[in-house]
Amino acid sequence: MKNKLWFLVQNSFNRKVKNKWFMIANAILLVVLVALFNIDTIISKLGGDFNEKTKIYVIDNANSYDLIKTNIDSFSKESNITNFKVIKTNKTKKELKKNLKESEYIIVLNEDSEDFLDVTLITTGYIDTLNYQVLNTAINNTKVALAIEKSNINPELLNNIYKPVELKREYLDETKKSEEESQEMIMTTVFPIVILPFFMLSIFLVQTIGSEINDEKTTRGMEIIISNVSYKIHFLAKIIACNLFIFMQAALLFVYSGIGFLVRKLTTNPVSSGVEKQISNILDSINKTGIFEKLGIIIPIVLLLMILTFIAYSLLAGILASMTTNAEDLSHLQSPIIVISLAGYYLAMMAGVFKGAIFIRILSYVPFISAILSPSLLVLGQVGIIDILISILVMVLTIFLFVKYGLRIYKEGILNYTSKDLWKKMFKALKN
Amino acid sequence: MLKVENVTKYYGKFKAVDNLSFSVKPGEIFGLLGVNGAGKTTTFRMIMGLLEPTEGKITLNDKPIDYSVTDDIGFLTEERSLLTKLTVKEQAIFYGNLKSMKDKDILNRLDYLLDKFEIKEYKNKKIKELSKGNQQKIQFIMAILNEPKLLILDEPFSGLDPFNVELFKKEIIEMSKKGSMIIFSSHRMEHVELFCKKLAIILKGKTVLEGYLSDIKRDYRKKNIFIKGDIDIDEIKSIKGVIDVVKTAEQYEVKIESDEIVDKVFSKIKNSKNITKFVVEEASLNEIFVSKVGHAYEK
Repeated sequence: MKNKLWFLVQNSFNRKVKNKWFMIANAILLVVLVALFNIDTIISKLGGDFNEKTKIYVIDNANSYDLIKTNIDSFSKESNITNFKVIKTNKTKKELKKNLKESEYIIVLNEDSEDFLDVTLITTGYIDTLNYQVLNTAINNTKVALAIEKSNINPELLNNIYKPVELKREYLDETKKSEEESQEMIMTTVFPIVILPFFMLSIFLVQTIGSEINDEKTTRGMEIIISNVSYKIHFLAKIIACNLFIFMQAALLFVYSGIGFLVRKLTTNPVSSGVEKQISNILDSINKTGIFEKLGIIIPIVLLLMILTFIAYSLLAGILASMTTNAEDLSHLQSPIIVISLAGYYLAMMAGVFKGAIFIRILSYVPFISAILSPSLLVLGQVGIIDILISILVMVLTIFLFVKYGLRIYKEGILNYTSKDLWKKMFKALKN
Repeated sequence: MLKVENVTKYYGKFKAVDNLSFSVKPGEIFGLLGVNGAGKTTTFRMIMGLLEPTEGKITLNDKPIDYSVTDDIGFLTEERSLLTKLTVKEQAIFYGNLKSMKDKDILNRLDYLLDKFEIKEYKNKKIKELSKGNQQKIQFIMAILNEPKLLILDEPFSGLDPFNVELFKKEIIEMSKKGSMIIFSSHRMEHVELFCKKLAIILKGKTVLEGYLSDIKRDYRKKNIFIKGDIDIDEIKSIKGVIDVVKTAEQYEVKIESDEIVDKVFSKIKNSKNITKFVVEEASLNEIFVSKVGHAYEK
């Protein structure tokens, strides 16, 4: 019987891996991931330029060029996204307008006796909202500076007025650090690296195990299988094979990402690329939170929670698939699992919004949601390792209940070919 | 020997099989006959261990049927039980391994059987690409891949043309000669009659007739007389003991209650003109079946 278990595992695994659609899908995934990692290079090759600066020609009739340049440069640097090059010009508005490109703006500064400054911004078309905000703030600041300057305030005082206020932070909770307040940035990194692939793989797992069991059942091949191996062996084989398949797919995604990164390293000049700098900044921020010191504990327990969740997903999907009599019913029955998973996904995405809320903490223990939500809350500092351990405990209990009661439904379901009195039959199976 | 002893199966309050008993010895071909919903498939599922009897027991060579003996059993389900996305070869490897066979033995046996059933060219074809008849052949090959000691065939001839029915029959008889116990169900009584020595007819889960075919036919007193010639139908019908007279294209079929009526019919027609045929035959299994299960039978 043991040999038959491994034969079934091997057979189920091979059937999925040797499937031409698996190979096609992975080839597409490889191309997409490599492309995503090198998107800036690809766009540059196709004529785009990430490092191109927007030129701002200033026609200064108000003697305020230095002030506006300082302000634009300062706010542009602060935004970390806009990239301006401010140029003073002696050309006329008419001349500049003649050859103005899409990435070039004209600012005309004129004195105004009442409002201090009269400004006209000339562009070829609409401009980016962020660019507009940065320019607007810089111009307003210039106006205030001009006003103060005209009020005869001495330079030292003026300097103090401009000096940004240093906000000192104090926390009643001694465990809190100011660095943790910038963790939204970390979430933007954790999300695509951990949460999104987990969500995708869990949906993939549910569909894989469901369709395989449904296929064997609807073709009546199940009768031959179950007459040769017990339903327990059959179910166990499906769980092992599908989970191995998903773990292999996860590993492949990791490898594809590695290839994408390697291609980037080989084809991009590290000095000119801003992505490495951004990664370095994010890693610095994460480092400041002290998470790196706890990674030795965090990684294994989060991984354990995720693996347990995958197992629970496969158990639930298998049990539900055993009750269905056709592919249409299967997709209907799988919908609630996908909705639960989606709920976890969105809760994790908005985890920062619910800071300190009890309900989000409780939700982080709920099976299926916990694997997505609790690591996010951990990164945000809203839950601790002990909470993850509680989630693991709840997950283990869930798996135990699925095995104990779900197997009864599976036994009844796999040889049931009619949807008549389905729920009645399943409840009866639970009681047996 | 397979023994089904006083087996009863309930689905909730519904009694699907009611105190069913029969036995099949090595080399015997046993027919389990019944209308749709009579309890045949439930009986087969119980023999295969897919369902547990509510009462009674089923043994193979005095041992209960469990996973330690299923490697010696072959099962052909009424509906297709093939994984249609697989090729014939992949399917054989899959089912063969479930019977604890080695890949090499599976492939040798598969080649032999594909050749025998004249479908060698389909070995690497996907099952879903095959015709209904060829799928049934593959299903039969899968059932006998392990040269089972007990072979269960639920409606094995469904979807087959007469030529392929002959191929199946030949193989079934050959297996019984080698000592396999074979149980099968069929709606086609002429098939059952051709190679079934022993049978049981069940109705609503209950056995209405059971035993050797020869004994059943002998005990069934009704006979048929086939007459060719110019006869007076009304005169024949007036004889006490004549059930009915049916005129077919070439002859008359006179259904009588027992052997004793033969003389009375003969004395009535002996002076008729152009009599070229007067043959007394036993009732067909189909007639016996219809008489036992009545209107419930749907051919």
